[in-house]
Amino acid sequence: MMSPLNITVTDTTAGPVLEITGELDYSNATRLRDLLPTLTLESGRRLVLDLAGLTFCDSSGITALIAARTHAQAAGADAALAAVPANTLRILRIVGLDQVFALYPDSEAASRV
Amino acid sequence: MCRTGQQPDPHDSGRGAWTDAAFAALLEDSAEELYDSAPCGYLSTLMDGTIAKINATLLGWLGRDRAEVVGRMRFTDLLTVGGKLYHETHYAPLLRMQGEISGIALEVKRSDGVRMPVLVSSAVKHGSTGEPVLIRTTLFDARDRRAYEEELLRGRKEAEKARKQAEEARRQAEEARRQAEADRARLQEALAVLQQSLLPADLPPIPGMSTAAHYHTASPDRLGGDFYDVFPLDGKRFAFFLGDVCGKGPQAAAVTSLTRYTLRAAALHESDPVTALTTLDTVLHERYTGTGDPRYCTAIFGTVDPDPVSGHATVRLASGGHPPALVLRADGTADYLPTPGGFLVGALPGARFATTGTVLGPGDTLLLYTDGLTEARTGTSRDSLYGDDALLAFATTHAGDAPDALVHALTDLLAGFGDGLDDDTALLALGVPAPAPTPSRT
Amino acid sequence: MDVRRRNNITETGNPHGRPVVLAHGFGCDQNMWRLTVPALAEDHRVVLFDYVGSGRSDLSAFTEDRYSSLHGYAQDVVEVCEALDLRDAVFVGHSVSAMTGVLAADLAPERIGALVMVAPSPRYIDDEGYRGGFSAEDIDELLESLEANYLGWSAAMAPVIMGNAERPELGEELKNSFCATDPDMARVFARTTFLSDCRQDLKSVRVPTLVLECTQDAIAPREVGAFVHQAVPGSVLVTLDATGHCPHLSAPEATNRAITAFLAGLR
Repeated sequence: MMSPLNITVTDTTAGPVLEITGELDYSNATRLRDLLPTLTLESGRRLVLDLAGLTFCDSSGITALIAARTHAQAAGADAALAAVPANTLRILRIVGLDQVFALYPDSEAASRV
Repeated sequence: MCRTGQQPDPHDSGRGAWTDAAFAALLEDSAEELYDSAPCGYLSTLMDGTIAKINATLLGWLGRDRAEVVGRMRFTDLLTVGGKLYHETHYAPLLRMQGEISGIALEVKRSDGVRMPVLVSSAVKHGSTGEPVLIRTTLFDARDRRAYEEELLRGRKEAEKARKQAEEARRQAEEARRQAEADRARLQEALAVLQQSLLPADLPPIPGMSTAAHYHTASPDRLGGDFYDVFPLDGKRFAFFLGDVCGKGPQAAAVTSLTRYTLRAAALHESDPVTALTTLDTVLHERYTGTGDPRYCTAIFGTVDPDPVSGHATVRLASGGHPPALVLRADGTADYLPTPGGFLVGALPGARFATTGTVLGPGDTLLLYTDGLTEARTGTSRDSLYGDDALLAFATTHAGDAPDALVHALTDLLAGFGDGLDDDTALLALGVPAPAPTPSRT
Repeated sequence: MDVRRRNNITETGNPHGRPVVLAHGFGCDQNMWRLTVPALAEDHRVVLFDYVGSGRSDLSAFTEDRYSSLHGYAQDVVEVCEALDLRDAVFVGHSVSAMTGVLAADLAPERIGALVMVAPSPRYIDDEGYRGGFSAEDIDELLESLEANYLGWSAAMAPVIMGNAERPELGEELKNSFCATDPDMARVFARTTFLSDCRQDLKSVRVPTLVLECTQDAIAPREVGAFVHQAVPGSVLVTLDATGHCPHLSAPEATNRAITAFLAGLR
């Protein structure tokens, strides 16, 4: 069964912002990964993943976040996480990703760089 | 209508007059006219079948003149070929033996070739000495009846066909189901064998220590990605690890297998825990980077060095993105051994791993686990999880338990989660046995 | 296997006489010999039977596989002879049964010592240089007739098919029944009969043979009688002044005279 997941893409001057709401897990994480090649990413721009509405994230979700970062870096761009919920942040800390992603309180702050 | 015992009906006289008139009209009809224009076909033949007499109704049905029929044709000449065969094999023998036969369905052929279904009855007329002299035959128009019968027959045939098709479909479905069940059983058997290859069959005995492990499989159809192992490094020290490969299924199982054998090989070469994880990180990176399918794991790798003299065991740990190990002390306390800042293994270039260590005294037990335990759901909501605090509280109540008792208690705990436990879960406990209880101990 | 019950064997006549086996053809059963039996009974052991699938045979013994070939019916004949331990019997076969007798005599030569063929035909369908009288489509028409009549007779047939036709009160209802049988079995017998081709088998007949034909026979025309007579070495052909396909019913005296004369000549 597919868990509820909604991804909205907004292009800002700094780069694309992905608003990820719902649950990112084994059943649907490929949707985020499949979306990546459709994004316009250029050197010096930033891909922002806005997790304010993310209610659940398992290891497959973490894999998708890593894939997003790898994809951005391949284009010479950067990846940042915005508004990471506490439970996801706890996981990110355990697996060391809090040191890898730039973290921002919200997507506006993340896109301002 | 019977009216006995009733008063005479005042209208009786009028109806009686009508009946008399109708009878009179009938009586005017000559027998010859009745024969010729009766609503059925009449036919008389000699014993050899030659037609001697035929009525107008039948001639009309046949579209023939009396002259071309009488004395020139036999009864069987009027029938279709199939009807002829039937007449010769069934009708004629029966008529001969019974002297009469009734209600046989045959078809006559009209002069224009069109077939007409009829119901035929015949009786043999005998002469004064009892010898058969002629056959009288009556034919009724059976077109409507035949249409109805054909409908019945068609219905019967279709029902039979439908029944056979349904039976065949049922048989095929049953066969497919049996095949699917066999396939599933074979697959599960293969998966179980594969899963076994990812885990040690038995833990090797560590002198002066005891160990226990448990693996909970969430689904028999999906290979789990959790793993653990214990193995000797040299004459004295042992290495152990426990981890969780991201994802499930055959690809995850391949990573698990690669991980297990890489860590074993790395540890034999250089037993430092960080070095072992770094080697694994490099191997996974080389194998999976650029495949578009990045694979990584979380893992704790450790070495234990038991000292038979002091009865203590020195533990060194390195963690790559894995939940912290727990140590349960003989004095009734329990604590996490935090390893913050350790990276996932294989996910990112230049990963760093966090280290920690402890010394286990008699009655102390070290517990490694995967997040299936701490992320088991305890409520209806997806984020009401068992959690680190609850695990610490549970561990505290079991502080002082030997590894097998602790693992047993945790297995019961997992069972209690029911459907809330939807991920594979691995448990590995290593401890130094407590001294035999003495009366003086409080 | 109880062949006596399976083939509804009836024995009559003189138990010390030479056995004569009377075999019905497609359409009826042993009842069609009722006018023949009296002429043979005095001097011969008379054996009557029903092929499996006909008359009061054991219908449960019918398999389409066995009875889709005349050899299956010939096997019935041999098994009937064996069950009664008949030797050197005279086999009298009507229509297609005349060919069954040819096959049976070949299978068990010690059992069958002479053949009487009543209105025989080795092949009913026309062929190059051969006139049998029918086409393959005609046989389909016959099958239609069988089916049409089965509907009308099925009520009377039900007790027969269900195997409890022994109830005497059914006698009246069963009037037409001995020429009727289960339509599926009748269809198999009809196909086997009318699609068979035994022309080659006739040449190998090695026993005295009487061929009886009628002057007017819609099923076995005189050309066929002549063909059989020519093909069977040393056979005797008698043309009966009779109409139809069943001279033993339509002209019983003439038929009986011809048969008894032939039997007398065998001694």
